[in-house]
Amino acid sequence: MRPINLLFAVAALMFIAAPVANAEEAFLNYKSYCMQCHGMHGKGDGVNVPAMNVRPRDHSDNKYMMTRTNTEIFKAIKFGGPAVNKSVKMPAWADTFTDEEITQMVGHIRTLCCEREIIRGVNFK
Amino acid sequence: MKRLLFLVALIGFVTPAPVGAGENGSKILQNRCAKCHDLTGPAPQTIRKLWERDAPDLFYAGNKFRREWLVEWLQKPVRVRPAGVNYLRTINSAPVRDAEEKDKNYDVLYGAVLRPLKHLSLKPAEAEATADALMDLKAHSDLVAGMQLDRNKKVDLDRGEVLFDKVYGCLSCHQIEPGFGGYTGSELYTAGRRLQPAFMLSYIKRPKNWDPKIWMPNGNVKPDDLQKIVNYLILLSKEDFNAAN
Repeated sequence: MRPINLLFAVAALMFIAAPVANAEEAFLNYKSYCMQCHGMHGKGDGVNVPAMNVRPRDHSDNKYMMTRTNTEIFKAIKFGGPAVNKSVKMPAWADTFTDEEITQMVGHIRTLCCEREIIRGVNFK
Repeated sequence: MKRLLFLVALIGFVTPAPVGAGENGSKILQNRCAKCHDLTGPAPQTIRKLWERDAPDLFYAGNKFRREWLVEWLQKPVRVRPAGVNYLRTINSAPVRDAEEKDKNYDVLYGAVLRPLKHLSLKPAEAEATADALMDLKAHSDLVAGMQLDRNKKVDLDRGEVLFDKVYGCLSCHQIEPGFGGYTGSELYTAGRRLQPAFMLSYIKRPKNWDPKIWMPNGNVKPDDLQKIVNYLILLSKEDFNAAN
């Protein structure tokens, strides 16, 4: 194979491979950190919920989630509930996740609720 | 001559117990603890590694625990983390439907939530020796070096609970009395007896420094409140939680 072709192949591979790895990371992050309260399937029914005086958000609730912008969700994750006028029970994860990880997390949260009908083709920013 | 030899052999056979217990602290650690506990570090650096962890890391035990508590606990271990060290493994993947709230299912813990812990219990002499050996494991000394508890920043139990629950939301994951509070964090009603104040200050300030991938967030606790919370935890550990039962 000529070097230039090899270069193209590598570039193509990077395009294909990178998003897959990222998706897995967001899923793993969700599973490790968010699941405590938001539940295994993002229904706001995590294991800590019976002890909490504020219900964690149900991420599979289409009707509510479509009223939130990506920026708002990003802020809620990065700076915690109070940053978007919500409860302090949602902590700030700025120290745990990088900005990129949070962006991916927003994408992952979108897949939990309403990806099919609402999000595709609409710019929510 | 034969009798003398026999006597020497007998003494050799009988005495190792106390002497052995004295020298064996680190050996007990290596032989019985190292299988589950990490004694050398570093802490898990990726999430996959994090979920492979079977037991709490002990390589910084000397900067974390109070010796009296270790000696007591090693003889009579009780559960510190209600959902286990690895809460993902303990959570039931098939949520049970709650009869009262028809639309909501909760993720539940396998079996009874506060199951007794499966852990070796050591004899008093062994516990002393092991505690000594654990206190020698001093990683991350730099993190506790600058931490000094200010006992003047006192709080009573009520105000402490407000800080703990309403201001920083710790109660979501940590219990402040048996059965009251969340499950995924360690219980904190014995934290004051269990942990060194400097460790508590340092860990609450930035959990990531001790355990890079731990699921405890950095609460951005203000320096004043940090002191108050630790004073509260120490005060809390003096309560008698079995009084009500």
